Amino acid sequence: MTTAQPTSDPIRPRLSLWQRFFRRAYVPLMLAPVVIALVVLFGGALVMGILQSLGYAPLYGVNTFPTFAYYRDLFGTPGFWMSVFYTFYYATVPTLVGLALSVLLALAMRNRFRGKGLFQYVYKLPLMIPYLVGVALMILVFSNGGIAARVLYALGIIHTTGQFPRILNTHAGWGVMIVYLWKQIPFMTLIIYSVLLGLGRESEEAAQTLGANPWKTFWNVTLPQIMPGIVSASVIVFAFNFGSFEVPFVLGAGFPNTLPVEAWRAFSDADYTQRLSGMAITIFIAAVSGVLLFLYLSMYRWFERRRGRS
Amino acid sequence: MVSRLRGRRPMALSPFQRFYLIFVTLAVLGPFVPLVIASFAFRWSWPSLLPTAWWIKARETARLPLAWDYVFSTYSRVGPAIINTVAIALVVTLVCLVLCLPAARVIARENFRGKGAVEFFLLTPLMVPEIAIGLGILVTFIQLGLAGTFVGIVLAHLIPTIPYMVRTLTSVFQGLSKDYEEQSLVLGASPLKTLWHVTVPMIMPGILAGSLFAFLISTNIFLLTFFVGRGGINTLPTLLFAKISYGGSLDPVAAGITLLVSAPGVVLLLITERFLKEEVFASGFGA
Repeated sequence: MTTAQPTSDPIRPRLSLWQRFFRRAYVPLMLAPVVIALVVLFGGALVMGILQSLGYAPLYGVNTFPTFAYYRDLFGTPGFWMSVFYTFYYATVPTLVGLALSVLLALAMRNRFRGKGLFQYVYKLPLMIPYLVGVALMILVFSNGGIAARVLYALGIIHTTGQFPRILNTHAGWGVMIVYLWKQIPFMTLIIYSVLLGLGRESEEAAQTLGANPWKTFWNVTLPQIMPGIVSASVIVFAFNFGSFEVPFVLGAGFPNTLPVEAWRAFSDADYTQRLSGMAITIFIAAVSGVLLFLYLSMYRWFERRRGRS
Repeated sequence: MVSRLRGRRPMALSPFQRFYLIFVTLAVLGPFVPLVIASFAFRWSWPSLLPTAWWIKARETARLPLAWDYVFSTYSRVGPAIINTVAIALVVTLVCLVLCLPAARVIARENFRGKGAVEFFLLTPLMVPEIAIGLGILVTFIQLGLAGTFVGIVLAHLIPTIPYMVRTLTSVFQGLSKDYEEQSLVLGASPLKTLWHVTVPMIMPGILAGSLFAFLISTNIFLLTFFVGRGGINTLPTLLFAKISYGGSLDPVAAGITLLVSAPGVVLLLITERFLKEEVFASGFGA
């Protein structure tokens, strides 16, 4: 009984109740503000969204909770599935193309060249400005009467605006995807380049000294090392593209446009019940991107584990 | 042999790489040349490569303000939009800083159960599509009467700024050791004094970097402001959206507003490249 007296411990002085509480609660207390803020904002948004998509919207005089009618109607519309296709298409292609171009750019930037200091400024510019600036530049340069068409006219290649290939407002989505690439290659490059800087060149030089050719060195030495950067960059970029609104709204084709644009259209419809199907689209977007994120990350973990074992 | 190896270290560009870097430079900067020209145009008809009538000439005879005159006149609502943009960004930055500082300190220095989960959770706003956040927040705020208010917009802007702020501050805290604070405490300074005289000066560069990023991200947000603001509160990006949302061509006023919207990013780039290392820059952007 006497052995467990904390007061008699000369090394650990007796702490007051308050101090003991503070020691235990220190980490949770420090984390609380930001975690609570995000949980409330995020969680609130998510719960309200799900409730509305299931028919709970007393504010608009609708309360048919719980009903899956809005989802059923949605999944029964052919336009919806076209919209799903375009959303995936506009999100995936720029992510993959951008990734390849960014790795190339990051590798090139490791070398010494004249004007490198200046280039470090230049390539980051698109990263620092809103997507809408990219959209405005797109209209200026690639619309049918835009700068590119005028240059082709001056060179005698085309003679009317109609001869310029349609880049904006087509379902092929060239305009949308070019803006994503213009904004996102700097972002992905920055991430991959900073990973490369942290790595140094020792292992690559070792591989080359041991006789590996540049391609083999890249594939077997460099790429596995920058994989974490590649994964986080592509997750962020894909999730962004999947939920992007203003770019496809301005530069995309009319109906059916991407899911976010259709969600907004439904939501701003004069008919309040349309808002609920807008909410259903939104929840669908969130769910799909959540599932994709989970699959992608578990695939990456599996890949890392397998590589570690072999 | 050794000298040859050493000389090889910073390798020279291959011809393809040289071409690629030049292409990137042109692709990034090129479009801004016609943008500046367009902002000074009065009429720019097909297929001329330069404006057919310039604003400087036309303004003498025009009865209404044109191009930049219009941008800076009260008709364009650019003035209030600038004030809104800056005010929102300032408040968002401050609130975000206060929320994130304690968390970043703990994440950088303590080991606790569920640390990985907390870190992942604080990054989720980067991985959830913006539209889902936007519409979800909007319906919640309609219910709470926060839609269309300044407070509502600030709260919405916190979501995308938090991940960047936490990342930047955490990397700063990781970079400095506990020793100085402990020494100050051992030497008899009170915790508050230590915080003010030791911790704060040491993390000041990080606070500055994180704040600048949060400020920039807030000034660049369109979707959340557009959804939550419901047209009642305009910032520079929502003004630009109103100008270009119907496509067509870019008129001189739209070109001018586009340049204004780009300004904060350009200024910040010039400031931050000076004193931020590439790694900190990258951590600020989610690497």
